[in-house]
Amino acid sequence: MKVSNREKILYALVDKKVKPVKFIDKYRQNNGDINKTLDYFLKYENLKLNYGTSKKNNNHISVEESNYRKIADFILKNEVDLLDISDDSYPDILRQIYSPPPLLFFKGNKIKEAKFSVAIVGSRKCTAYGREAAGYISRNLSEIGITVVSGLAVGIDSYAHKAALKGKGGSIGVLGCGIDIVYPPENKFLYEEILLNGSIITEFFPKTPPLKSNFPIRNRIISGLCRGVVVVEAGEKSGAVITCEIALKQNREVFAVPGNIFNPMSRGCHKLIKSGAKLVESIDDILEEFYEYYKGNLKLCSDHDYPSSRKVNNRHNTEIQGDELKIYEFIGYKAKSVEEIVKYSKMEVKEVLSILTSLEIKQLIKEDSFNKYSRLF
Amino acid sequence: MFFKLDSFTLIGIDAIRVSVEVHLSRGLPEFIIVGLPGKAVSESRQRVRSAVLNSGFDFPVKKIIVNLSPADIKKDGSFYDLPIALSILAASGQIKCDISGESCFVGELSLDGSVNPVKGLISMAEQAQSIGKKFFFVPYEIANQASFISSLKIVACKSLSEAVEALAGGEKMEKFICKDKDESVSNRNSHYNFDFEDVKGQLKAKRALEIAVSGRHNIIFIGPPGSGKTMLAQRAVTIMPDLNLEECIEVTKVYSLYEKYVNYLIQERPFRNPHHTISRAGLIGGGINPRPGEISLAHKGLLFLDEFSQFPKNFIEDLRQPLENKEVVITRSHLSYSFPCNFMLIVATNPCYCGYFGDESRKCICSQREIQKFWKKMSGPVMDRIDMRVTVARLPESSFIKTECGESSNKIKNRIEKCLYIQNERFKGKRISYNSEIGINIINEWLKNDKKIRDLIYTISGKYNLTARGTVSILKVSRTIADLEESDTIKENHIIEAVHYRVGYNYSPESIF
Repeated sequence: MKVSNREKILYALVDKKVKPVKFIDKYRQNNGDINKTLDYFLKYENLKLNYGTSKKNNNHISVEESNYRKIADFILKNEVDLLDISDDSYPDILRQIYSPPPLLFFKGNKIKEAKFSVAIVGSRKCTAYGREAAGYISRNLSEIGITVVSGLAVGIDSYAHKAALKGKGGSIGVLGCGIDIVYPPENKFLYEEILLNGSIITEFFPKTPPLKSNFPIRNRIISGLCRGVVVVEAGEKSGAVITCEIALKQNREVFAVPGNIFNPMSRGCHKLIKSGAKLVESIDDILEEFYEYYKGNLKLCSDHDYPSSRKVNNRHNTEIQGDELKIYEFIGYKAKSVEEIVKYSKMEVKEVLSILTSLEIKQLIKEDSFNKYSRLF
Repeated sequence: MFFKLDSFTLIGIDAIRVSVEVHLSRGLPEFIIVGLPGKAVSESRQRVRSAVLNSGFDFPVKKIIVNLSPADIKKDGSFYDLPIALSILAASGQIKCDISGESCFVGELSLDGSVNPVKGLISMAEQAQSIGKKFFFVPYEIANQASFISSLKIVACKSLSEAVEALAGGEKMEKFICKDKDESVSNRNSHYNFDFEDVKGQLKAKRALEIAVSGRHNIIFIGPPGSGKTMLAQRAVTIMPDLNLEECIEVTKVYSLYEKYVNYLIQERPFRNPHHTISRAGLIGGGINPRPGEISLAHKGLLFLDEFSQFPKNFIEDLRQPLENKEVVITRSHLSYSFPCNFMLIVATNPCYCGYFGDESRKCICSQREIQKFWKKMSGPVMDRIDMRVTVARLPESSFIKTECGESSNKIKNRIEKCLYIQNERFKGKRISYNSEIGINIINEWLKNDKKIRDLIYTISGKYNLTARGTVSILKVSRTIADLEESDTIKENHIIEAVHYRVGYNYSPESIF
């Protein structure tokens, strides 16, 4: 039985302990000839690495108990797929980065189909605004067929994934651990959802724990898979900012969604904007940068809904009136406390509280920190 | 030579009659107590002997057998010193007792013959009344505790010789009868050292507390350190309506089990604030001879659990059943003891380990995971029984000086009393007495004809992902809000305000901020 390339690569990486970087080096020296590369690494091995290898073949190296064997069994059992660098469906854009992963474990076929993707990254501890912004951008990108890539973490990442899954673009989640590990555990359901219209990928072998050091390694795949990286909310020393640095090295566009200047979670984004990242208000700002890419493949979408301020005001003036409008107008984009609102409106606390809740139900305001409210639109 | 007097023993909070029977017979001098006496009861032999001798009587040189009947119930405590001594004296013919049949006795004797206080006097007095006794001989120091019971004459004895004197009956007895009955009941004006005026700002929390007290809803305050959670909780007791006589008796019953020296009828709402290092028996009640725990001491009042997150998880779970049943039953192999615990629960906690999650000016340094872990401990069944969740923010420093005073406790209390009156009228003849105890079927009845409200509820529960229990608790709170406004029906704005107190903090970090 013929041993396929990806099995050989897996064997080289797992049991021969070839460093991925070294592998890629050799691969490039051989001008992308995978057979030559594998011959170089495995030339002394007379292998019979197919899944059916049995103990009887004594003349061959026994791989029964090797790590390779375990992983191969795992892959067969759990419907995990493998994609190697020589594969045609391996994303071209990822192949071009400095150190692409020689092997990708994946579930869900989106990774093979995605033609154009954009990453949305941000803080785990996000504000209501960040959540709203991530969802809004992600949803619109996905609607015109752009795949949204993110890191399957909590916070911005999970909101970006959730919103993207509703559109035709779908979503790709890149893990910092083995594909069999659900991390963080609260995203358990997201894992299942994402497989319906997206895929989960990782370069780490199954059972790799989510070590701290894995995440920067993962981040290079997130940005590597995409044409551009959108940062939604990031603290000053956030992982999202690191992703952007990698993205710049990989020659990707960097976008940042501005935030409230009083919010420490906007620091990172603003720092990026100051040093040249493009400010994003709507996906038009993103699409502008990719005009030559998407004009062929994608339909230019000029009038997708985005909250131009006029539009919003018109909509809401009809919905809210009287005291609600008065309070809504008083609550600015900087958070106001209940006490301030009561003092301003000269109404009773109970009335103010019910107005605040009803504005919240209408999704016009949001509790920013305890008892402080700010506008969403 | 046989003589018999009545006394009591306590099972949980209830007293039952115990007859102290004494028989003096010929034989080697001996003093035996039978009828499952505990250690304290057996030791009473020594106290009785000394007290009798030191009061100037003779201790009979006979074979003395004391039986505590019913003989199959374990008895502990020092209640029986006085009845044993008196019946020995009577059996040996040293004293005259005309009224022994209509009297009952409790009291611990000291070696010099004086009578010391015992626990649970008030429960015994009630029992004495219900079995038709006329006189109740009690230790002088705590006589006032039981003096409100009208058809029972409380005979306060300082010493064994006074008890002997009173037992002779007639005029001599009159001077020992405790008289300040009326005074102790009518003079009921609870006074507290703090007032709601002291709370600056925190309008939302104050309003929430008013609603919580009105409908007896359990409430949790969530906020960073120094935001005033404890201050608010302490003041909740000042806006609760005064206890009526019946409630005073119930409260005093529990307290008299807990400590001996309760020399009055307790008239203030109990406010219990146990520290989180409390033991399980201390919180729920228990021990070898079960004693009421903090939840019972908070009966008819407030139980405030500060730093709720620090309480062991199983203690929190232990609260479930008492919260539902308003009674805690402690079962031992020989007997079950039940203590009442109809309390309102106020809980305060930080929002996370570092305490600053959701704070405006200080950044929280907890990871998402830690915050989740923090809340995981508290979520679930107990949180479900807490109708109102209120966030409390720290005030800016300037507002401590500037802000004018808030409403005084008395003003708020008046409104709450009105609201409670409405509830009493509504629930007359039913098994419940507060809005927080309403079941879903009653609510459905109210909302049957109001489609607009029903639609609103569907919208809200969809929007906030509420469980059935969550929706019910919103409706209960909105009923209280409507009552505060003296509105017959629940209106839209009532519900919307109630939503505010439920979803203010949804205790899964996924859904907030």
